[in-house]
Amino acid sequence: MSVLKEFTKGLWKELPPFRLVLGLCPTLAVTNSAENGLGMGAAVVFVLTLSNMIISMVRHIIPAKVRIACFIVIAASLVVAVELLMQAYAYPLYQRLGIFVPLIVVNCIILGRAEAFAAKNGVAASAADGLGMGLGFTMSLTFLGSIREILGNGTWFGMAVMPEGYEPLRIMVQAPGAFICLGLILAGMNMLAFRQARRKGEQAEALARQQQGCGACGGCAACGAGARDAQAQ
Amino acid sequence: MRDMLRMIVVLSMLCGLSGFALSYLKMITAPRIEEQVLANVQGPAIKRVFPYAENDPIGERRRFEADGRSFIVFPVRSGGALVGVALEHGSKGYGGDVNIMVGFNIADDTLAGIGATTLKETPGLGMRIAEPAFTGQFPGQKAPVGLSSGGGVIDGVSGATISSAGAVGAVNNAAAVYARLKKDILAAWAQ
Repeated sequence: MSVLKEFTKGLWKELPPFRLVLGLCPTLAVTNSAENGLGMGAAVVFVLTLSNMIISMVRHIIPAKVRIACFIVIAASLVVAVELLMQAYAYPLYQRLGIFVPLIVVNCIILGRAEAFAAKNGVAASAADGLGMGLGFTMSLTFLGSIREILGNGTWFGMAVMPEGYEPLRIMVQAPGAFICLGLILAGMNMLAFRQARRKGEQAEALARQQQGCGACGGCAACGAGARDAQAQ
Repeated sequence: MRDMLRMIVVLSMLCGLSGFALSYLKMITAPRIEEQVLANVQGPAIKRVFPYAENDPIGERRRFEADGRSFIVFPVRSGGALVGVALEHGSKGYGGDVNIMVGFNIADDTLAGIGATTLKETPGLGMRIAEPAFTGQFPGQKAPVGLSSGGGVIDGVSGATISSAGAVGAVNNAAAVYARLKKDILAAWAQ
């Protein structure tokens, strides 16, 4: 497996919030503006890349029975480091992200990548995986934040982009807007995945997947559940 | 048994290492964080209370001791003379502590104004204690102030009595500290 492939899979094929549907708490909560989404994403890129690297480095030392505790300690330490650095160098962003910065510890992407990838792969591949997944997460949050900010506030990164008479859809920058937006994006992703599969002539398979209702889930390969099931059989 | 020992050793070492690394990081970022908090939280509140300040209240701040606690007092000058001071105090609100920056006019000990610094009150209800409709009632009053429901002069935000009482309590706490410290304050910044 090439490092490049590990990097790029997080950008589209296993895009965390929209494909794996992981890390939804921050995805929904902080994306009321593009800038907040970008800031949250940057913090996650930092934590995810470093935690993947460190966990991959110490993976042979950590006893299997306490691995989850060890992963959490590593992720938590990195998150506290991010929190301190953010307070020292980007205080306004820290004020806006509030409680969601410490909550990166329990973001399922961090633990998910540690367990599914970093604990089984080398340092370079793990770093690439973390960086790719983190950037995918950042892109998704910025995208969602942009849509919500443009529709709900008429601005993008704080600049007015809508025509003068535009009446902002306030609901979009509030909690319900996050759910509506995310739902539409997930539906769009499913449709895309289905179309792609059909074009490749895998119609029967695509139809079956659609009927199961998890057409867009790259899940099994991503979570390692498929491999475990195969072993069990 | 060996497995057990290994688990304990690895996990303890990991925790110890991260503890040391974090306390080191906290130590080196502490001064910078304090500066940022002052500039981003206290600074705007002082600006709201004393829009006519001609000096840099944050740069000239000093610590004073009162009631076994230390308070940061921010001096405000206009035309070269010390006209007011601001200090922050808190009280219990509905969602946590209500912290308010309270400004005092040195000349007659009246309130110059108040500005909220940290609030965790209910949005749309308790949070309205930060709005001018509520805070605008304080300038010119003499502490201690009370809510109109208790015979005082301040109209609380309707539906948010606990938050309003928290704000009034914070103002009165600050006033008590100011009364105790006034001599020291005047001595410290006397011309």
